[in-house]
Amino acid sequence: MSASFSMTRRLMIWLTLGTALFWLLSAGLGAMVMREEFDEVFDSALEETTQRLMSLLIDQQFQSTAVSGADPVEVSPPGAKREYLTYQLRDQTGRVLLHSHDAPSEPFQVPLRQGYFDDEDHRTYTVAALNDTLFLQVADPLDHRREAMLEGARTLVLPILGLIPASVLVIWLILSKALRPISLLQDEISQRGGGNLRPLGLDEMPQELAGISTSVDTLLLRLGAALQAERDFAAHSAHELRTPIAGALAQTQRLLAELPSGHLQARACQIEASLKAITRLSEKLLQLARADAGIGAAETPVDLVPALRLVVDEFVRLGGQNARLKLELPPGTRLIQAVDIDAFAIALRNLIENALRHGPQNEAVVVRVEGPNGVAVINCGPVVSDAITAGWTTRFKRGATSSPGSGLGLSIVSQLASTMGAKLVFQSPAPDRSDGLRVAIEWPG
Amino acid sequence: MRVLLVEDDPTIGNAVRDHAASQGHAVDWATTIAQADAFSDVVDSDLILLDLQLPDGSGVAFLKRLRGRRNMTPVIVLTARDQISDRIEGLNAGADDYLVKPFDLGELAARIHAVARRYGQRTTPIIQLGDVEVEPAERRLTGPHGAIDLSGREWAVLDCLLRHPGTIVPKSRIEDALYALGSEVQSNTVEVYVSRLRKKLGSSHVVTVRGLGYRMDVA
Repeated sequence: MSASFSMTRRLMIWLTLGTALFWLLSAGLGAMVMREEFDEVFDSALEETTQRLMSLLIDQQFQSTAVSGADPVEVSPPGAKREYLTYQLRDQTGRVLLHSHDAPSEPFQVPLRQGYFDDEDHRTYTVAALNDTLFLQVADPLDHRREAMLEGARTLVLPILGLIPASVLVIWLILSKALRPISLLQDEISQRGGGNLRPLGLDEMPQELAGISTSVDTLLLRLGAALQAERDFAAHSAHELRTPIAGALAQTQRLLAELPSGHLQARACQIEASLKAITRLSEKLLQLARADAGIGAAETPVDLVPALRLVVDEFVRLGGQNARLKLELPPGTRLIQAVDIDAFAIALRNLIENALRHGPQNEAVVVRVEGPNGVAVINCGPVVSDAITAGWTTRFKRGATSSPGSGLGLSIVSQLASTMGAKLVFQSPAPDRSDGLRVAIEWPG
Repeated sequence: MRVLLVEDDPTIGNAVRDHAASQGHAVDWATTIAQADAFSDVVDSDLILLDLQLPDGSGVAFLKRLRGRRNMTPVIVLTARDQISDRIEGLNAGADDYLVKPFDLGELAARIHAVARRYGQRTTPIIQLGDVEVEPAERRLTGPHGAIDLSGREWAVLDCLLRHPGTIVPKSRIEDALYALGSEVQSNTVEVYVSRLRKKLGSSHVVTVRGLGYRMDVA
């Protein structure tokens, strides 16, 4: 299963990246336009400079005698700095007559033709004079242009980089506001569960979410109705099943009381025993039906201690072996959980029944409230391995025992613990003992 | 004791009535809330056995009305509603005990005695009448020469007197305890059973208070 992701985070990242990308594209386009403009300006200046310089050099040429010499003359004004533009004055054979102090004495590798010529490092403009006998070539280094271009581009991009964090903040604010209905829907849906199937009741949802909200409400209503029908069925079944069994049992017991001793009374005893067995089995099946109907979670937290006391009291009052049951409840202890008390009582009854039935006779069975998040039933007896206890929650699977039972008790408890949001924990030997078993219902603390 | 049984199921009602009668209790049997209301208006019951799901209403509502009238007659709920929340609702409405169907008639008898003992302020389950030991819960009477047998009606009279030890119990109240046992009560019926009790327990324990009723002197 892929890891879950945050829609807000993903949107923020992609929107920020998208925005930054468009900004950078815009800056790139701007830089290209800027370069065109720069080239025009530089070319214009280069052309102008060449033409002006040509007239000056022609004057100088006619006044100077040096030009008749074989070597080119370097024009080097005192205090001259490194120059941006370099030039060469060449005759029609290509010989360099004159060059600026940063220009080489060797001729530029530029044809003697009026106009622009580009090589790797320079853009050179050539102008001809005196019937194409003199050529002035002025070279403008491309580095200079590139530097101007880069500075211009940097001026465009740097503010964008600074604006990205600000845009993240703005996008986050916009997303938070825009996605608020989703958060609201998420919160409401996350509050729904076994104990809360109320409709969401979100009337003012945006169009995109209104359909989802309505569908969830419909689903919740149907689910609630289905679960309620199942619970009602279990409750009505309990009544409809218990009443005739109760009648049959009561009549049989009257028969037993009125019959003289003998084989008829023995038969009545067998009927009574069968009816009691049916009672126990129907009890378990009804509990299982209730567990399957999803009782367990409740919307409102309640203190389970009063219900626990009642359940323990039920057993103790029956006397006999049940008198072994001890309740360990430190004063002031409360067991507050969002749990259906009927589900809790069914689970606890089953744990106590099991401990009384399968623990050694005449040894105490302890019901212990272990703080606010757990209750345990502890009985004596041989140590049981984890491999064995793991199979106890399977329906109709009974442990290695000759005691009467349906094999449903612990599967009912397991199912109820799950719907109560708790864990069913087996521990053998029991804590602080070398034997025995502790079976606990534990809620996350 | 005079017991009002409120139960709509004839099979259960019939068995409970017969069992209670065999224990010496006089039973009035109502199958609806309306009948139960009528009984409680005219008969001073010592105990009510109440089903919760009746054809014309809820037993809990009947119980609340009863307690609302400050009628503190002990009530044991007999119901098929087995959930702990039902039990809490029943106890909160004023029930003294709660027994889930199907129940054992022996368990029901024990609960009836326990409630009766609590309301009769008997702190001990064994009552000493001179040489005679009475164990009402077990319906056992032991004299110096062994067990003493009492008929159902004799038990009904003895139980009625034992629940108010040292105080005068009107003859009409003892008659009430005998009426529902199923047979006619003649004008001298109470005297007949008191006389039989005196023979079995000794003459000094049941004292006649002329014109008012009878008093049980407990040692």
